[in-house]
Amino acid sequence: MEEKPQYVIEMRNIVKDFPGIRANDHINLQLKKGEIHSLLGENGAGKSTLMSVLFGLYQPDEGAIYKDGKEVHIKSPNDATALHIGMVHQHFMLVECFSVLDNIILGDEDSHGGWVTKKKARAKCEELMKKYGLEVDLNAKVSDISVGMQQRTEILKMLYRDNDILIFDEPTAVLTPQEIENLMKTMKNMAREGKSILFISHKLNEIMEVADTCTVLRKGKCIGTIATKDTNQQKLAEMMVGREVHFTVPKADAKPGKEVLNVSHLFVKNPYTHKETVKDVSFKVHSGEIVCIAGIEGNGQTELVNAITGLENVKKGNVVLNNIDVTKKSIFTKIKNGMSHIPEDRQKYGLVLDYNIQQNMVIEQYRDKKFSNHGWINFKKRKEYSDQLIKLYDIRTSQGSETITRSMSGGNQQKVIVGRELDKNHSLLVAVQPTRGLDVGAVESIHKKIIADRDKGSAVLLVSLELEEVMNLADKILVMYEGEIVGSFDPKNVTIPELGLYMAGAKRMKVDENGNSLGEGVEKEVATLVEGGHKNEEIK
Amino acid sequence: MKKSNKQVKRLFSAPADGLTSLGSSLICVFIGLLVGFLIMIFASFSSSLADADPLKGLGYLFSGPFTALDKANDFGNMVFYTVPLIFTSLSVAVAYKTGLFNIGAPGQFLMGTMCALLVALSIDSTSNATQGVFIWILALVIAAIAGILWGLIPGALKAYFGINEVIVAIMTNWIAANIFTWVFSLDNLSFMVNKPGGKSAYLLTTSSTGNGTPNLGLKALTNNSYLDIGIFLAVVIAILCWLLMNKTTLGYSMRACGLNKFSARYAGINDKKNILIAMGLAGALAGLGGALYYLNPGIEIQYQSVYQILPDYGFTGIAGAFLANCNPIACIFAALFIRYINASGTNLVSVGYNRYFADIIVAVIIYLAGFSNFFKGLLIRFKHKDRDAKQASSLYEKILVKGLKTKGGNE
Repeated sequence: MEEKPQYVIEMRNIVKDFPGIRANDHINLQLKKGEIHSLLGENGAGKSTLMSVLFGLYQPDEGAIYKDGKEVHIKSPNDATALHIGMVHQHFMLVECFSVLDNIILGDEDSHGGWVTKKKARAKCEELMKKYGLEVDLNAKVSDISVGMQQRTEILKMLYRDNDILIFDEPTAVLTPQEIENLMKTMKNMAREGKSILFISHKLNEIMEVADTCTVLRKGKCIGTIATKDTNQQKLAEMMVGREVHFTVPKADAKPGKEVLNVSHLFVKNPYTHKETVKDVSFKVHSGEIVCIAGIEGNGQTELVNAITGLENVKKGNVVLNNIDVTKKSIFTKIKNGMSHIPEDRQKYGLVLDYNIQQNMVIEQYRDKKFSNHGWINFKKRKEYSDQLIKLYDIRTSQGSETITRSMSGGNQQKVIVGRELDKNHSLLVAVQPTRGLDVGAVESIHKKIIADRDKGSAVLLVSLELEEVMNLADKILVMYEGEIVGSFDPKNVTIPELGLYMAGAKRMKVDENGNSLGEGVEKEVATLVEGGHKNEEIK
Repeated sequence: MKKSNKQVKRLFSAPADGLTSLGSSLICVFIGLLVGFLIMIFASFSSSLADADPLKGLGYLFSGPFTALDKANDFGNMVFYTVPLIFTSLSVAVAYKTGLFNIGAPGQFLMGTMCALLVALSIDSTSNATQGVFIWILALVIAAIAGILWGLIPGALKAYFGINEVIVAIMTNWIAANIFTWVFSLDNLSFMVNKPGGKSAYLLTTSSTGNGTPNLGLKALTNNSYLDIGIFLAVVIAILCWLLMNKTTLGYSMRACGLNKFSARYAGINDKKNILIAMGLAGALAGLGGALYYLNPGIEIQYQSVYQILPDYGFTGIAGAFLANCNPIACIFAALFIRYINASGTNLVSVGYNRYFADIIVAVIIYLAGFSNFFKGLLIRFKHKDRDAKQASSLYEKILVKGLKTKGGNE
């Protein structure tokens, strides 16, 4: 018996019930010292519940947790901390108006005569930063730093408390590709230094890259634990979803028809900072084609889409939808004119979270004759319609059309929005990050739906930060950098690294009013670009 | 963590079913009465209240208007005093469902009162009962219009300039109070004074012009109380408000604005228009409340230096609305309840307390109404008897402490 490898954490037969659902069904998890162990599963598979049990936020109904072979009872996050278990939550727990250093020491401050002393803490942080290659500005305010740096602050918080079991809850969901790469490096560093890492994710490529072992959960059950070197992405996806998954959805060549959306010389200015976020953007989207805007987050994509859909004001330029100038028209008019919009922030814009599914399903059409009669709601028709969409889009609910959307998982919330926007009469679909935070199964189904919508003759404008999604779906790729379109490509003739150069601003080409590339492309060095930027500002 | 967060959210913000809402309101009432009782016990130790009897006081709180000798009259008056409160509660509730906090109800109430009285007191219908009824209706319509206009001031500023409606409404309240005082000052009212049947030089009632609210025998039925047909109007309008908010497309879009104005805007709902409609409607309701109170032939209006303070009907309306969880039909019962407790105030004097003890209890209950979501959570937990809700509610504190952003998880 003694020959069994010693696990730093072992969770045995964990069962956790919630009303109406068994979130964890006899799950076993074994974590070795110095290992990166990933926990893979669809949305709602029970990963977060399992980690909450380990972190003391939930008590398991059955089963036990062993640390270094000894049974432990973790009743609260304080117990977990005492056992040197730390967690980086997906949504950071930082005090925004405090400095990074203050946030790191918060709750664990040294004091001298009632005054907080930070000298020792600062030295320790600096040492940790050096050791693990975690770069943060200790003096900066949290509200001023990037998401990536906030995450590094969270990691430092754990390290500062000498935690040696680190839980990362979907850490890459909020990061840019470069930041993800850095995080991967950091995680590997930490594992090398003897920390044990539990890494929750549903991004297969990341797991393959960084993890040593992978435990797959599906619908609350443990499907298996497997060493990543013995498997591949395809196999993992099948384990996770329970069926064969296609990463690339087959798609026929585009047959562009008439012009649906025409954006010409659009400028958007931020009303608060007076910074121009979109500068002279022009392109066209025809029916039957998917035009995709690629770029690193914060390069004006959000503002561009908001200006097109009407959530933000246009400073200059025109938006023409189905030959009608809708630049200054209300959102209502745009929707009437055939616009469908899958918004970037599904909880802020996409749904009224306290409304149930059927109320959300008709939010753009509630005044339509189909769903109302002289100002009175037609409850029966509304429910029929909603039931139909729930079936068609495979939305998993607990109470059918009556389910309050707040109680649903993010993936299903997204399906409600996608179903609503695709089923509505439309000729233009604006989809922003339609698969953000979803698992491969849901991604596949949404990609299929978008392509089917294109084939039915819709014009699709897709904005995505995920280059793979861009490559899979687009018929034409436009790259945005600092508010301008700096490249236009046919996805067949371009590679991801090439796109990356344009996204980072290292290369650019001239693009005409239709969003087509002008010839070979005008390449510039980064340095001259930066200089040019400064000059522009000076002129202003 | 995320899962738990969701659980907590479900516990603390989920629209619970009607029964749970009712239960949570009843818990508020029970704790309020208990606290009132305790305060009465403590007060009875005071030397100035040496002969106070807390047990009897508690009994009076329960018996409300059915305490004194003239029970019919007390009951009639209680119902009558409920009418304006139902209207102001509705006013607050409808606005709140649209995401607006209508603290301007007192001002709207006063403007409605003022305009209704200007109509009802300046036209003499003493010799013509039919005309009296028409003038009464006219006065109500004018009051509603005045309320709409007064409610639209904060509404329009909110819709078009994004100015906080609470701040504007507090200003308009005082403007209304001073306009009212000015209009009902002696000089301005000289054309109404000295009407035949006017009670005295300083007090006016609609009995002097015959334009008062009809009572259809209710007054006689309740032993000469103030009770009139206003209560029927209040109930009908509360039901209409409920239908509007729950069964019509307009109500649907108004509630969407109240729950999430961003997604309403995204969906092409005109949130500016809905703000105007909600504040206009709220103003009309408060204005009607004021009019129906003062149009009663028995209620006197002093015409000199009338309002240096704001009428408490407007503010108590906030309490009524929240006790009713902003459900228009429940507003009727919430208002009745507040008046029921208030009605015991006068009786408390006979057992050695003063009437403000009743107000303390109402205040406690209203304070607790703010916790109604917490009680709902308790009830749900009790109903399911499941441990997770318990964990979740203790988690709630942890999360509050950690200052979790409520943006919600992706999963």
